[in-house]
Amino acid sequence: MEEIVCNKIFKDYKGKGVVRALDSIDLRVLKGEFFGLLGPNGAGKTTLVRILATLLKASGGCAWVGGYDINKDEKKVRRIIGYAGQDSERSAYFRLSVRENLFYFAHALRGVPKDIARERIKYMASAIGFENKLDRLFISLSGGEKQVVIIMRAILHNPEVCFLDEPSKSLDPVTARRVRRFLKDYARENDITVCLTTHNMLEVEEVCDRIAFINYGKLIFVGTPIEFRRRAAMREIIEISTDKLGDDLKRKILKAYGVLNVVCQKNVTKLYCEDAFSTFPEVLNIMKEMGLKAPVRIAEPSLEDAFAFFANGGKSDEEYC
Amino acid sequence: MKNIASPLKIFYMAVWRNFLTLTRYKVNFIFSIITSILWAVGMLLFSLIFDSSMLGRTVGTTNYVAFIIFGMSFQCWQGTALWGASSMLQGELSTGQIDYTFTCPFSRYQYIVSNIAALAVQDSLFFLPMFCIGLRLANTTLTIQGLLLGLASIILSVAALVQFGVIFAALTLRYRQVTAIFSFFNFIIQMLSGMFIPLQILPVPLQIIGFSVPVTFGMDLLRHYTMGTLTIFDPIHEWTAFILQLVLLGIVAKFIVSHLEGKAKEEGLHYA
Repeated sequence: MEEIVCNKIFKDYKGKGVVRALDSIDLRVLKGEFFGLLGPNGAGKTTLVRILATLLKASGGCAWVGGYDINKDEKKVRRIIGYAGQDSERSAYFRLSVRENLFYFAHALRGVPKDIARERIKYMASAIGFENKLDRLFISLSGGEKQVVIIMRAILHNPEVCFLDEPSKSLDPVTARRVRRFLKDYARENDITVCLTTHNMLEVEEVCDRIAFINYGKLIFVGTPIEFRRRAAMREIIEISTDKLGDDLKRKILKAYGVLNVVCQKNVTKLYCEDAFSTFPEVLNIMKEMGLKAPVRIAEPSLEDAFAFFANGGKSDEEYC
Repeated sequence: MKNIASPLKIFYMAVWRNFLTLTRYKVNFIFSIITSILWAVGMLLFSLIFDSSMLGRTVGTTNYVAFIIFGMSFQCWQGTALWGASSMLQGELSTGQIDYTFTCPFSRYQYIVSNIAALAVQDSLFFLPMFCIGLRLANTTLTIQGLLLGLASIILSVAALVQFGVIFAALTLRYRQVTAIFSFFNFIIQMLSGMFIPLQILPVPLQIIGFSVPVTFGMDLLRHYTMGTLTIFDPIHEWTAFILQLVLLGIVAKFIVSHLEGKAKEEGLHYA
């Protein structure tokens, strides 16, 4: 079942000139999915999330969240969504404690019954390891801690769909991992569809069932993280963990079957090939002949490589540079 | 079915939130209490030397005290009614909280009005000791009917100002900085509502504008019930016009909020 549907959504910002932030976005997110929106800075991810969260008007096209039209049934959409915006660490009451803030937002603004709100706050805080901070004033928290509160606020009322705009931006790696795992488990247990924007490839790897890549307001890719990597892998890679190959060895390797290019980076040499599995034994033989002892492996392009590939308009980072 | 926040819940939770916040700024809170006590003590001292017959001889009416305390309660609520929501939204815009708030499923109009009401409750509590002492003082000259109708005219006048407050709040959503717009309309409301200048002495075109400001009849009725002045029109007609204007202004305010929110959403809400 589709939980979010975008049909030819576009958005123009009018200022001195017209800037097209989104260009004919067609997207479908399934119920219960953890969906990642990727793209370089200014690609249009936040704009799309804000449109779906009824905070921004699309200039054209239509979209449905939970089966409700975001233009005609705004109120119904708001009943079923949760939202944590980008750079929203200041967006709570500074002189209230974490517990009071969460209780206010859940009970007053979302109508969660008092007892349930209190229990959920306790449960979530203990799951994230935040129990000892519940009674601290919001103002006394660090930026990352404030962000955790904002993320908790977004799901406290068990929304059907939750939009998180760069949720882990200011979190340290340990907290980020803890929050990610909690979000993933909580979303699965409560059948929450999560749509998050991120630049953190580890986050994508760990939690996203599917991702979409947006660049210059256009949807470039939709699929699983594995498909994302594969699509970006125009060539397969053999990695030798050394950058001291020497000219002779380099020349010999370049002549090996299927090797297209050799790129030396810091502590690693990447051989771009048509078929890494066929080339691999020959490369090992050449290394043996030339007396080079170094770990060799067939590498999949990382998500970061894939990100760079799509962001650079379909060129690998090396070629682009 | 998902839970929905009601305006009443937003109101009492906003009262709770405001009081918690207030007590956390300890020095300011202590001085609020001291000021409140000071005004009450001042009123008490005044009561010791209060001689209603002398007031009648010098000022011309013994209802003067009643008018003062009603006037002060009106003053106490006026700022909050007109400006409270706008500053609240301005705060939400600058911290980005508005993004979360405006993804919540309640009427924006009700949210703004509930928050103004919560601020008014906060104002009233500090004002209450003085008000009670003043009321005790005016007891001899004020009938229960006068008290109730006076209070009703104040509350309805404040309710009318709240509608202007809602409009200013909506303007804040759209234009971010509205202090000058506020000053402009505040001047017009104060000058043409008979707060300072009796409407009868103004030129007819200005009188017409004045009569279309809902606070005008509120002020006129307040004076009538507390000081025994004559009303411009028959009180029944004034009440009818006053309530009709209030309803109409409420509808206009609600429309403006939804219209300006829509406009603000064309470029995004939180870029203050």
